[in-house]
Amino acid sequence: MKLFLSGNEAIAFGLIAAGVRFGVGYPGTPSSEVLPTAMEISKKYNINGFFEWSVNEKVAFEEATASSIAGIGSFVVMKQVGLNVAMDPFMNTALVGSPGGLVVVVADDPGPHSSQTEQDSRFLAFFAKIPVLEPATPKEAYEFSKFAFSLSKEFEIPVMLRTTTRVSHSREDIDVSINNNLRAKAEFKRDVDRFAATPHFRFLLHKQLNRKVREISNLEWYSDFEEYFEGDLLIITSGISFAYLYDIVEENRLQNKLKLLRVRMPYPLNVEKLKERVKGYDRVFVIEEGYPVIEMQLGNREQFRGRLTGDVPQEGELTIDEIKKVLGRIGVLSLENEEPLNPPFKRPSLCPGCGHRSAFYAIKKAFKNEAIYTGDIGCYTLGLNLNAVDTVHCMGASVSFGFGFDRVYSIFGDKDKPVVATIGDSTFFHSGIPPLIDAVHNYSKLILVILDNSTVAMTGNQTTPANEFSQSGRRTKPIVIEDVVKAIGVDFLRVRDAYDMDGMIEDLSEAQKFTLNNSSPAVLIFRHPCVYSGEGLKNNVRFRKVFVESNLCTGCKVCVKQFECPSLIYDSESKKVFIDFTTCIRCGQCVVSCPFEAIKVEK
Amino acid sequence: MKLVILGVGGMGAITLSKIIAQMCIEKDIPVRSSEIHGMAKKGGLVEIQMKIGSGKSGVVLKKTADFAIVLDKEYEDYAKSYLKNGEKGLITLTDEEKVWAAQELGDVRFANAFLLGRFIKNQSIFDKDDALSVLKGFKFFDKNKISFERGLS
Repeated sequence: MKLFLSGNEAIAFGLIAAGVRFGVGYPGTPSSEVLPTAMEISKKYNINGFFEWSVNEKVAFEEATASSIAGIGSFVVMKQVGLNVAMDPFMNTALVGSPGGLVVVVADDPGPHSSQTEQDSRFLAFFAKIPVLEPATPKEAYEFSKFAFSLSKEFEIPVMLRTTTRVSHSREDIDVSINNNLRAKAEFKRDVDRFAATPHFRFLLHKQLNRKVREISNLEWYSDFEEYFEGDLLIITSGISFAYLYDIVEENRLQNKLKLLRVRMPYPLNVEKLKERVKGYDRVFVIEEGYPVIEMQLGNREQFRGRLTGDVPQEGELTIDEIKKVLGRIGVLSLENEEPLNPPFKRPSLCPGCGHRSAFYAIKKAFKNEAIYTGDIGCYTLGLNLNAVDTVHCMGASVSFGFGFDRVYSIFGDKDKPVVATIGDSTFFHSGIPPLIDAVHNYSKLILVILDNSTVAMTGNQTTPANEFSQSGRRTKPIVIEDVVKAIGVDFLRVRDAYDMDGMIEDLSEAQKFTLNNSSPAVLIFRHPCVYSGEGLKNNVRFRKVFVESNLCTGCKVCVKQFECPSLIYDSESKKVFIDFTTCIRCGQCVVSCPFEAIKVEK
Repeated sequence: MKLVILGVGGMGAITLSKIIAQMCIEKDIPVRSSEIHGMAKKGGLVEIQMKIGSGKSGVVLKKTADFAIVLDKEYEDYAKSYLKNGEKGLITLTDEEKVWAAQELGDVRFANAFLLGRFIKNQSIFDKDDALSVLKGFKFFDKNKISFERGLS
């Protein structure tokens, strides 16, 4: 059957068609749609399998490794920074291997568009010595998923399927098939020299790994290069860059100028075979999205030109326009000097009615510019707009940064400095718990605010461990955040609806007193369902009318600046604020932000 | 054929691209698209580029598109920069049409069917029945049909 699928959806179809029956991961843009698609396929076509979110990428990786060791075809999916979290099991699974097959789906985010780094996961495949396949289109994502799994199963080695934002989020008509006749059987074959290997056996496993990699680098299809066009200028390419180059050649009729040599598997790269193909060319360009993984393996900077030689930009997304500029500089394409028109810029902002906005507003009212505000990864990073976030680093770092700041200010500061950390519920489960243990254990004066909307909102409202049902619809045991916090030994805990402005401000001031008097952390849970979810919006407070009384509005813009709701619009002609009814959800939370009481609600 | 659809989050621009893609699939024409959306969930720009019958990537370059469908006139100038022949192929949703869809049909997203009608009227690959047969698979067919036919007229 032919479907119009995104790269991410195609991966789920490909893996299940190949026989994968166990899939786990943690959401993160641009990877988030793979696992939910697997859940849907499994439900729709009665596939007996397990496809669920895990608490974080490290845990997911280990769960999938175990499943694979027990002989079940498995995959684990994450974004590039998620692989950093999973690094420990990732390296070791490469060594131990994956008897039932294990595909590691990693979506990179060059640019970056929604990440803290633009790292290239192919380098980590290289580092762990596992093969990596790089599809260029959604259709290839479907096909390469199958190739990745069969390679993994045959060699009992995890295989990485690396996509980038543009492959994950492109769509294409794809002819897919479903295999629901597979009979999977769990069978763990005890082998302590392998699965509980001591260092001596690790050396032997490393030797085996090297042998596998050598064999794979000679495998047909995987180590083959696709050749396109007949020109004199040779370009080695892979992934999305290949698709772009192909389109540029076709659209600009460069068939007689360029020749493309496309790599399917950037590691292990058969360098000898590739060098054979480039004989006679003085200069060969390497154009690949991400780091110079292929280029670096080729050596010889005189002959091979790319990112390392400065011929291709060394940072940022390699968009089709950037590639055209590279070709312009080489002299095969004449370029217009005109700067492309960009769309009007709109600052990203929390949704109108988001409980996080009210929470940040309360935090800012309570601590003004006195505190250090450590933030975290999620929608609430946008607390930046309310000046209530000073640092954003990586998952869970709000808590450990908070601990670090408080400690150095206690020892080396002129005076005590309040530190307020903000973290979302899912990020707290993911990696906020270990640093909170440190903070409690070491008598930190940290104030931790858990912004709980009971969902992974940023990446598309996936479920969290606090939910009663998993995303695939299984009944699950909800993990209660306050129980976790109490169990760690936090002596000050308050739970408050994030729409209760006065209550939150009171909690924050009590928390500050407590931390100072007791040298112990305080935890506040400001809870409000995500209004971006259907359920959250349906049950949300809704006034009949929320409006600005024009004669009371002085045009001071305090509401726009301090409350920062995108539905509050300043009209420069009338010099007044009005409410944009197309986006306003009539929650009335903005009322407190007007110093002249011009924002009114009608019940 | 190349086209771009520019909308804002929550308006249904992606659904419109899927309807056009489904028409292609039913006619056995290869179709590709590339979606770009920013960090803002609501109100942010959603940009969909589509290639029908050609190419490897779904990316459409500036000055090469046959059609630009715009759901928010704030992005009209940006949309024009994609078109290959001046303003030929520009389909903009006017405020009147937006209000009509929201008030008469009950949801601004029904405006997508109106734009589909306008698109069908201005090209020759697909006809009215191709569009209707796909629309039938979507919810609220009756209202979509009203909106579609208004776009067609």
